[in-house]
Amino acid sequence: MAENLTEAYSNLSPSTPSGGASGVSANVSSSISSDIPSLGIDSSIVMNALLVLALAYAATRIVVVLLTWLSEKVYEHRITVKMAIPLAKFAIYGFAMYHVLGSVLQLSTAQLVAFSGLAGAAIGFGLKDLVAELVGGIVIVLDKPYQVGDKVRIDGHYGEVRDIGLRATRLVSPDDSLITVSNQKVLSQILANANAGSREMMVVIDLFIDSASDAARAMEILREATVTSRYVYISEKRPVTVLLKDRPFYRRVRAKAYVYDLRDEFQFESDVTKRAWEAFEAEGIEPPKAGVVDIGAGSAAGGIV
Amino acid sequence: MTPRFEEEISLIKKVIIDFGEGHRSNLAVISDPFYGESELVDRVEGMTGEEGIRINARTLIRDLEALEDARGRIVIIEEVHRLYRRKIGGFDTMNSFLKMLVCSDRLFITTWNSYSWKYLDEVLDLGRYFSRQIKLPKMGADQIRDMLLSGYEEGELTFVEEEPPKAEELKVLSRGSYKKTLMGHCVQIPRPVVDTRSVRSRLTKTEKKPPEDVFFDRLTRISDGNPGVAEYLWKEALDYPQVRNALKDPPSIGLDYDDSFALSIVLSMGSVEVEELSDVLEPLDLSAERVVGLLEEMELVFLEGDVVAIRSEALKSVVEHLRRLRLVW
Repeated sequence: MAENLTEAYSNLSPSTPSGGASGVSANVSSSISSDIPSLGIDSSIVMNALLVLALAYAATRIVVVLLTWLSEKVYEHRITVKMAIPLAKFAIYGFAMYHVLGSVLQLSTAQLVAFSGLAGAAIGFGLKDLVAELVGGIVIVLDKPYQVGDKVRIDGHYGEVRDIGLRATRLVSPDDSLITVSNQKVLSQILANANAGSREMMVVIDLFIDSASDAARAMEILREATVTSRYVYISEKRPVTVLLKDRPFYRRVRAKAYVYDLRDEFQFESDVTKRAWEAFEAEGIEPPKAGVVDIGAGSAAGGIV
Repeated sequence: MTPRFEEEISLIKKVIIDFGEGHRSNLAVISDPFYGESELVDRVEGMTGEEGIRINARTLIRDLEALEDARGRIVIIEEVHRLYRRKIGGFDTMNSFLKMLVCSDRLFITTWNSYSWKYLDEVLDLGRYFSRQIKLPKMGADQIRDMLLSGYEEGELTFVEEEPPKAEELKVLSRGSYKKTLMGHCVQIPRPVVDTRSVRSRLTKTEKKPPEDVFFDRLTRISDGNPGVAEYLWKEALDYPQVRNALKDPPSIGLDYDDSFALSIVLSMGSVEVEELSDVLEPLDLSAERVVGLLEEMELVFLEGDVVAIRSEALKSVVEHLRRLRLVW
């Protein structure tokens, strides 16, 4: 066995100009490199590609800033203008990628196939989630389950959609926290959209009163507090509704009304609640006894009520 | 003067005749502030004769019972929108009035502020109570011209165009400023202002219209077809026997939401006492005195005694601003 190997080695050695093991490796690598087509990528091409991507990034930032500024200027069409932001971002990055692959790298069909193969392997091994997020972003932009400016609840988080990015959607919660949810997750979750692209939005205001209090008068007061609020928007299609629900130890008076601008949601709720309670107190309408709302809510959740 | 409201008068006449024949249709005449509907009411009052009675709703705010005691089968009530206030408990008088109207066998001819009407129509469904409604329309340039020139002979007045500035003086951009209160000090921050009139005049090179046509087109645009506002602006421009085309475009308004809401209350009433305004704004923790001071400074309202009223020349921009915020619709 050892003799055979020595023979083989001695047969190889005359053909290698430098001789020894290093000669073998150089020979092998040169034969491999002649089989694989050259990508023809040098440092200037890489720099050009990076420059295009940097310009695309700068362009998206400028477009986002300009469209955001414009949306606040044209107050009544704010959401319509903001809808264009994710579309513009995808268009700019899409064009940049096309330009990098097509003009800067100037890939031939064979190179493109090789690149696709490499990209496929990369996606399969390590970038699967990133690609799923990017695809999710495209689906969100095209399918529009929500738009920038909408009030949504995703995965238990409620807030205003501030940005639909390539990878994730950003919400701002009522307490001003920035919540980032991956686009892939958005598509697999149950999503609640409070206004669906419209500036108007329904707000539900619940007040709880003692069972012994005058519920009819409480409903009247809550209705008046709602229709006189400076934030309310009333029309034939956006009526104000006041409802009463009886619970074992208390009653719930509920007002459903619209605000013209969804950003006024919490001011509206607060304004109506404050003035309604002032009127309740003046008319002897009392809140439930301490703790009974929790008892009622608990039993309702348990399916007893 | 060319008789106005001919169409409306014939409609009201029909309502009165129908009432005489036993068919009652209560009537609401709805108009923008300053429209001059009192001229219409004067004529209606003349038509009703002994059977009619004319009351201003201001007198009913504290004593609605007076309406029941009033004689007359035809009741003309002006400014019915004064019977409500935009606050909890502010609809009681209006509801009592509507209840009385439904139970009564008398004919009610009423006038309303258009912005209050639209609001109350959504809140109280006013349309159900008034089977006949007349909305006084906006007037065109020709109608306004006929109305204003009816008292003058042809050629009696000379329409003078303001000297157009020399071409080199036509500035597209000029320097403006806005006031901002910083740490208790009022600071004027400069900002560029685009002169849209200048831009328009450079872009449009159309055939020159006679000064009279130019004046009435501009008057109609600035008054938004409101005859009361047009009449006010006409008086400002008239320097007999000359009419100077020095009409200013209405100012643009930059007000925050709360102050805009207060402005919407004034607009919905046409004019309102500071005390009444305070009654609405106090539960919202807003000071009526402060808001009135601000609106007066911005030349959107004027204060006469303790009554605040919209400036007629600012009406168009006030309505546009409040519509944009959907505080009126």
